[in-house]
Amino acid sequence: MAFIEAQNLSRSFVRYSAAKDGGLTRLWRRERTTIEALSGATFSVERGELVGLIGPNGAGKSTTVKLLTGILTPTDGTCVVDGRVPWQERREHVRHLGAVFGQRTQLWWDVPIRDSFELLRDMYSLEQGPWQKRLDMLVDALDLGELMRAPLRQLSLGQRMRAELCGSLLHEPALLFLDEPTIGLDAVSKLKLRAFLKEENARGTTILLTTHDMEDMLALCSRVMVLGHGKLLYDGQLDALLGRYDTVHILRAVYDGAPDPSRLSGLNCTRDGDAYIVTYEPEKQPTAEVLSQVLGAGAVREMTLKEQNVDELIARMYQEMAL
Amino acid sequence: MRTRKWTPYASVFRLRARLETQYRAAALGGLVTQAFFGSVLVCLYTALFDGNDPRALQETVTYVWLQQMFFRMLLNNDSELNGLIMTGGIAYTMIRPIDQHAYWMMRELATRLVGALMRLIPMVLLQFILPASMRMTLPESPVALMQFMVSLVLGAVILSEISGVRDVVIMKTLDTRGISAMINLIQMIFSGNIIPLTLFPDKAQALIRYQPFAQALDAPSRMYLHAQSAPEWLFNLSVQLGWIVLIAGLGRLLWARQMNRMTVQGG
Repeated sequence: MAFIEAQNLSRSFVRYSAAKDGGLTRLWRRERTTIEALSGATFSVERGELVGLIGPNGAGKSTTVKLLTGILTPTDGTCVVDGRVPWQERREHVRHLGAVFGQRTQLWWDVPIRDSFELLRDMYSLEQGPWQKRLDMLVDALDLGELMRAPLRQLSLGQRMRAELCGSLLHEPALLFLDEPTIGLDAVSKLKLRAFLKEENARGTTILLTTHDMEDMLALCSRVMVLGHGKLLYDGQLDALLGRYDTVHILRAVYDGAPDPSRLSGLNCTRDGDAYIVTYEPEKQPTAEVLSQVLGAGAVREMTLKEQNVDELIARMYQEMAL
Repeated sequence: MRTRKWTPYASVFRLRARLETQYRAAALGGLVTQAFFGSVLVCLYTALFDGNDPRALQETVTYVWLQQMFFRMLLNNDSELNGLIMTGGIAYTMIRPIDQHAYWMMRELATRLVGALMRLIPMVLLQFILPASMRMTLPESPVALMQFMVSLVLGAVILSEISGVRDVVIMKTLDTRGISAMINLIQMIFSGNIIPLTLFPDKAQALIRYQPFAQALDAPSRMYLHAQSAPEWLFNLSVQLGWIVLIAGLGRLLWARQMNRMTVQGG
């Protein structure tokens, strides 16, 4: 049996809102809408994998993480993590997992971070000796030495994120959830954090990473799961996913005066201010052909040609999946 | 160090207690407020008694000061907890291998007890600069003091557990204002903070003495004034323990139910 096994995992929420019509009855009549935050997700993750979870906002990523951590109970389906059902054996389950939620802090705001780490030691019933060793190692790797006496509120975002990460790894979890860990970090911090996560993964920690940052994804994950509208749309190698799309080129041209529209017909052409943007796949439409059409349509003042970047590619993928 | 089952809870108590001692300016502000209200109430009762029954006046004055000294125990103002409940962030404490309810109640208890202690010392010092007629008296006897202290700690537990029930209402309404205003008013009236409970009508005494809010601050104050006989005291202790079991039980039940329904706000 795999480390994480999810079968038909589903969670819906009921949301109430004031009734749309009716006068005074709005005071007590409510409209009920059921939202399928996650429906029928089936997947498995092996021990030691580093899996990326991507999808637009509201796709069900956070819901998936909350179900796997045992914070939420599913409305349908099951999942087993390391032989345990998260929401049934919550306390034993969470003993072996760590989590960093980029937008929420789990350390105490007003006390020195060292004190928070001591509280965590007691929460996880860790022995003083091994805890201290582990702490020293993490403090060193995450460069937290100077900050141990500072309260969390005084730390910068990057420092805070490193402190959170340290807190989540003190008890040597077998499974680590990271929800946008690099959000708002500067370039240097991002690179350091990625390097650290790679090492942690190499040490055997299974990591589930949620992010909107495609650079994170490229740097860290070989396998991704794409969620959209609460459904698991793709589960496989990141390379294979990108391989489906990697042939799109983007040509940007600015004309002196207006170009001849009839010469541009047959091209996938949009306007961006003065510029004409032509996207095409060189395998279907040779570049020479596209170029001659674009150049023939008028006097081109400037022109650039580039490959679609990952963000644009993902945006296009979401579009094609009708997200 | 051997870790025991209660280690996490002792640890959260210690940390919250330490944090509370950082709020020295708040303690000072509280001191000024409590000194002012205490003085006004003492003057009011002195005028009201108008020279009659000096013993009863003396006891009322002492009662008023005790209430002001431990006023901090009545406050529900753990803003971090309130914030966590309103944003749904509290669900994230579920990823800790601890008993949620016990964890938060320990934190509440530490806030109340240590907050009160912070104000206790200056409030006692204040007594030395007050005119003699406005001062409180010493406890009736060492036994009275002991009974008072034990019951006061149990009283703080009762108030923490009441706050736990309040938290569940906040989880439901997602706003602290309504329920907090209600609870604060009820607590201040029925714990004897506004009017000493002995001044309520005699017919109501039996009822008013044993309700949970009275058991928090009023009952210990009565022990301070008059040591109870052993059976009497044991009876009172069991009333306090009974309320703790009842309110904590209710709190745990509601807490668990609400946690399962939690739809973590946003993100």
